[in-house]
Order: sequence, then structure tokens, then C-alpha cells
Amino acid sequence: MTRKPSVCQEIEPALVATAIGDADSATATRVEAHTRACARCRENLVRYGAIERAVGVWRGAPAPAEELARERLTSRLADLRRRTLLYRIFPSPLGPILIARSEEGVSCIEYLTGGSDFAHSRLSRDESIEALQDGAEVEGLYRDLLEYVEGRRTRLEWPLDLRLARSPFHRAVLQATAAVPYGAVTSYAGIAGEIGAPRAVRAVAQALRHNPVPIIVPCHRIIGTSGDLIGYAGNRVGLKERLLAVEGVPTERGARAPRVARRVLYHYDRNDERQYCLPTCGSIARRPIGRVTLLASRELAQTLGLVPCTDCRPDLHPISR
Amino acid sequence: MDADGFDTLVAAHHREIYRYLLRATFRASEADDLAQETFLRAYRAHRALPPDANGRAWLFAIASNVAKNHFRAESRRRRAHAAVLETRSETDGAGPEGETLFKETRAMLDTVVAGLPFKQRLAFTLRKVHDLDYDAIGRSLDCSPDSARAHVFQALRKIRRSLNGYELPLGRDER
Repeated sequence: MTRKPSVCQEIEPALVATAIGDADSATATRVEAHTRACARCRENLVRYGAIERAVGVWRGAPAPAEELARERLTSRLADLRRRTLLYRIFPSPLGPILIARSEEGVSCIEYLTGGSDFAHSRLSRDESIEALQDGAEVEGLYRDLLEYVEGRRTRLEWPLDLRLARSPFHRAVLQATAAVPYGAVTSYAGIAGEIGAPRAVRAVAQALRHNPVPIIVPCHRIIGTSGDLIGYAGNRVGLKERLLAVEGVPTERGARAPRVARRVLYHYDRNDERQYCLPTCGSIARRPIGRVTLLASRELAQTLGLVPCTDCRPDLHPISR
Repeated sequence: MDADGFDTLVAAHHREIYRYLLRATFRASEADDLAQETFLRAYRAHRALPPDANGRAWLFAIASNVAKNHFRAESRRRRAHAAVLETRSETDGAGPEGETLFKETRAMLDTVVAGLPFKQRLAFTLRKVHDLDYDAIGRSLDCSPDSARAHVFQALRKIRRSLNGYELPLGRDER
């Protein structure tokens, strides 16, 4: 014995559509005509309507543990946001460069060596962060950096996020370095003195070796007390020389490494009154760069609030290059 | 979309995404995990979302994918089906008190819906509980709007057939 189908098969799609409110008027009319004649389909239409209402109850019903689920999500999202860095890799005159930022600020600028993809970045090996490729967020900074490297911009006023600094000491070193102005040069010993740890010169050098945001935190302005350009981005002293040249700080060939050309830079001894001098003033050009800061221009000296030395009168006898 | 836009999206849609996933998994703990997974994925991708995009449909599509991956193991699907029989009360909201028959039939409906093929069940839930249009359902389930409509239709037909013999409460004018 074969069972009779419970609904006329050709009308069923229209029946369902009508019951759930998806039917156009022609379909609804067809269903109405059919159900007037067919008791079984009439009954099924009612059943579909009943399913519709029963499901409707689901919509408003509170779900269990909803608030708890929301709290858990909030906490995990906060963690993800803290760990997320958005990065992009750009070509630059200094080679491929990776720029990354968090929601707080710029957190990584990295010269890539060995290749221009993300696998060559230190970020790819750092499990504490989640790096997402996203151009829009760092595009503006890239443009500013290019202008900077080409000498068309002297300030990079981007909020910094120093989370990738390895310790509070490193962070203090980076902050002191960030205060060294465009066109000025001081030494690792000078920074050690600034942060109240005058004996920690090597530790300062280490901290700057791991500077997560070079250029913005201008570790290229920090040199040896002898004037030698030592250490930059691994061993890329040439980059350091280039960035200093952009800022008007010339270098010359030294015995072991390139060195800043002190004879054409203004000098400022931080132990003295707020005076700046010519390099020919007394013994200043022979003093270690620890206490002495070198300045590319008189304008910079004036910006820093320094006054011309009354002995050598750099205001009357500016250095000619 | 910026970070504030994303916060707005979470505030507006976490509740319904969680409920949707509860319908997909039948366990609050799994729905919780999958809702987290959905929003973490969304956070990673939201910056690429055009400003005029339908964020709600986009979230449902992510949630559907997360659920699909979760159920890829057939054993999990079977376990979920078993779970609905044991822990039906987890998805069963407060409902009108004292209506035992109504509660029973709704519980029966839960069971029948739980037994539907996965795509039909998701399509049915997206359409009937969350009011998504067939375009959005199609995007969620990687199929055309017509296939989405067909899934909902098949689901309803199976539910109706499974419920034959069980009286669903009728509306007043139908008694």
C-alpha cells in the first residue's frame, strides 16, 4: 500500500511561502484558491503558520549565560587590541622599511635586511604581538618619513608606543634620546648622564641597539664620546651617516669609523652656562662628547634658548662650510 | 571602519550572534567560544570593511563560517544533536509560564530543528529568528540567494512533516 502524500506537491512551495510571508500576491491568491478546495493543504497551511509562531518565541527569549559571554568577549577583545600592531612594508631610500603602529601610537620602524617580506621582520618572531598587515593606518607616517629622509621635513610628530622596548631602563633611554633635537648630536655617555645612570654607558648603547622606533627616536644622533659613529641598525653606520647629513651634521673619515666633523659644528657644554661656542673656543673641541652636545646651526642653538659665548662670539663669526 | 565603529558593532550585535551560535551548537559554552572567535576574527578584518557595508550581515557570515569549521568533524555534529536532547533547556528561554503543552511542542521543535542538515538549520535560523534576507543568508552559507531560499523551504517542510501528529498551538482564529 502506498501512502498518499500529505500535501499536493506542486503547491507546497507556494504554501510555505504564504505561511512565512514570502509569497507575492499572485502566489497567495493561488494558495487561497487551492486551500479552499483541498482540506489537507488547508490543514498544512495552518501547521506552517503554527511553526512560524513557535519559532517566533525563540526571537524574544533570553539566552542563558549571555552576560557572561559578553564579559568574556570584552576581556579577550581588550587583550587582542593591546597586542595588535598594524604594519606595512614600504620601499625607501634606506631600503625596505617596515612601519607598525598600535592603537596608541607608532611602535615599530624596522630596516629589513635579507628581503622585503614580513618573514624578515622581528615582529614575525615575537609571539607577544599580533601583527596585521594594513596600509591605511601607517601610510601617512610613511609619507612623513620619506619627506624626512629627503630633508623636506624636520619633525615627526607621531604619538609613540614604546611597548617593544625591553625594559623600563630601555624606555628611559629612548625617552631621553627622543629629546635630542634635529641637527644635534650627543653621546651614549651623555644619555647615560641624562637619565641619572652615568656609568651605564654600555647599557645605553644596548638599549639603542634595540630601539624599536629608529628615526622617530633619533638614535642616529647618539655617537661615541670620541665623535665616532659607532653602531646603527646592526652595522649599518652608512645609514647613520646619511641621516646625520640630512640634518646638516657632516662627517669625515676617522681612524676606525666615520666621525662627526667637530670643526664645523657649534659646541655646547651642558656644564657651562647656557652658552654655545665655536669649536675653536678654548679646549671645547677636545672635550669628550659626554657633556658636550654638537649643533648643526646657530638657529638650532637659538631655538634651544642658548646664548652666544662672550669669548668666541659665534654670532659674529659664524662657521663657514 | 575605525576602532569606535567596531565597538559599536560589538555592542549592537553580540547578543544576536551569541543566540545564533547557541542555535547552531546547543551548548552555551560552545556558543560562547564561537561568538568570541567570531568577534576576534571580525576585529582582525574590520578595517577592510567599506564604510557602507552591512556590518550585521558580515558578522553573521563570519559566525556561520566559524560554526561550519567547528562542525566540520562529523562526530561533533552528532554530539551536538545528542546534546539538544539532554540540555534542551539551555536554548529554551523563559517562555510563557504554565503552558506545558506549548513548552513541550516548542521542545519538540528544538529537537526537530536540531536534526536538520547543518545548512538547512543555519538558513532556517538566519531567516526565521534573525530576519536576514536571502542575499545575506546566501553570503553566510556560500550559496546563491535561491539556494538559501530552498534551504529554508526544505527545513520548513521537514519540520512540518516531523511535527505531524504533534499539535503545535494554533492561533486563536484557527481553533
